[in-house]
Amino acid sequence: MQVKKIFLPESELPRQWYNIAADMPTPLEPPLHPGTGKPVGPDDLAPIFPMPLIEQEVSKQRFIDIPEPVLEKYLIWRPTPMYRAFNLEKHLGTPAKIYFKNEGVSPAGSHKPNTALAQAYYNKISGTKKITTETGAGQWGSALAMCCCLFGLECKVYMVKVSFQQKPYRRLMMETWGATCIASPSTETNAGRKILEKNPDSPGSLGIAISEAVEAAVLGKDTKYSLGSVLNHVLLHQTIVGQEAQKQMALFGDYPDVVIGCAGGGSNFSGLAFPFIRDKIHGKKVEILAVEPASCPTMTRGPFAYDFGDTVQMTPLLPMHTLGHSFIPEPIHAGGLRYHGMAPLVSQLILDKLITPIAVPQLETFEAGLTFARTEGFISAPETNHAIAVLIREAKKAKEEGKQKVILLNWSGHGLVDMAAYEAYLTGRLKNYELPQEEIDRALAEIAPLPKPKQYRK
Amino acid sequence: MTQRITPPEDNLKIRCRKLGHQIFFSYCRRENRGLPCPKTIDCWHIHFQVQDYLEQELTHEEWNQAFAAPAKPKVMTLLDLIEQAKAAKEEGSG
Repeated sequence: MQVKKIFLPESELPRQWYNIAADMPTPLEPPLHPGTGKPVGPDDLAPIFPMPLIEQEVSKQRFIDIPEPVLEKYLIWRPTPMYRAFNLEKHLGTPAKIYFKNEGVSPAGSHKPNTALAQAYYNKISGTKKITTETGAGQWGSALAMCCCLFGLECKVYMVKVSFQQKPYRRLMMETWGATCIASPSTETNAGRKILEKNPDSPGSLGIAISEAVEAAVLGKDTKYSLGSVLNHVLLHQTIVGQEAQKQMALFGDYPDVVIGCAGGGSNFSGLAFPFIRDKIHGKKVEILAVEPASCPTMTRGPFAYDFGDTVQMTPLLPMHTLGHSFIPEPIHAGGLRYHGMAPLVSQLILDKLITPIAVPQLETFEAGLTFARTEGFISAPETNHAIAVLIREAKKAKEEGKQKVILLNWSGHGLVDMAAYEAYLTGRLKNYELPQEEIDRALAEIAPLPKPKQYRK
Repeated sequence: MTQRITPPEDNLKIRCRKLGHQIFFSYCRRENRGLPCPKTIDCWHIHFQVQDYLEQELTHEEWNQAFAAPAKPKVMTLLDLIEQAKAAKEEGSG
């Protein structure tokens, strides 16, 4: 009988996170404060983040030790298993060897606790007593609630009121882990009260919930805020995924020709890919594919420019792949893949041609998700289905070429609390949509006058 | 086939890109502090003539407020929100 999955022993849990900023051929350009035009400094972010996380945000140190208390708690679900997808290979009739790293085994069901745990720890040792955040459906809120609970921190989650009313399961998960989950807008913040004064029946929005969470952190005693995507330190914490994967691939006796992850804000993709990109920088031949929706082509069709985060140009300027700040993505069923901008680290690595972005239409992603569920058993989160779609493309390509490629996928989370999206697909209510070139051109014209970083490319 | 111009009832839900779950049109119509979510047209245009409907419903000023200022990515709002919170604190203590 062939080996189906590999569990690393706990003694093999990586002891350090890998910081790709140390190896990037082109150093990342710092975000600029819109008021001063100067790089954003630690003091700008200190009201909401503890200093160890701000230091990690700007660190160039290649490896950063994972504190012992974080390692101890990672052991609850880490190391996560790596599977060989024999059934999928057989179904596709491909000579490719397909592996997937299962990040859905965390108590919260996704990769997100990898950073939530680290952020909770650094807050704890910095004297933080309470962490605030916002959430919609609750994937990030539940991950943070669990990790705050593990470090004895109070956690307050501002959950958009309509989600609070419609999505009881993740709210109950948060409450089970001891977090306070309140409907936003609330009467607890200035931002919330202002909304309720004007409209007592407001159903809330993510924007309002973020305002409440940040305000509560800035004004609350010993209170900080936590974010689950995009920032450098978030991506850093996720690299434990790729480092485990490297050890597991070695135990299988393989090394991937292709590494695949879905990329919304970039955190799960980076977690698997960055350690392999380090190998690539040092000469290893490996293809790194970041997958996004065809209707939201941030990586595949956008130029690299400084983009203002808002139309009044008051928010910090981050160099990002962008379609301009009036770009509105078209409909797509993948909540985690809707960021207007990709993480700056990922954007720079695309520019340096170390990552290849690929876009897939949404019907193909659900077809892939069903194929995966019906062969390997696991029901994937809708965003994970994007990566699976490209995995299947690569496996079919290997068949056509007659090559025994080794393909590695980050299976970033299960979709068991996201079955409504599957229902929409299964009942034929989803449609494909690709952004017309004229829409792209219009958006690009809008960012033409903005200041460009050195790496700007057309 | 010609699309209808009237919005669907609340029993039709589509997945919201921001919230991460299914939602009905009447929420999207007022998500942005009473104005439509900036993504409303993209999300709903395949279901009904949402742009025509909103053009009828909104004043020119409301239209510009809703669609000329789309929602910001979370990370890009942080400094702005810190400043807003500080200002609210000063206002409260002043």
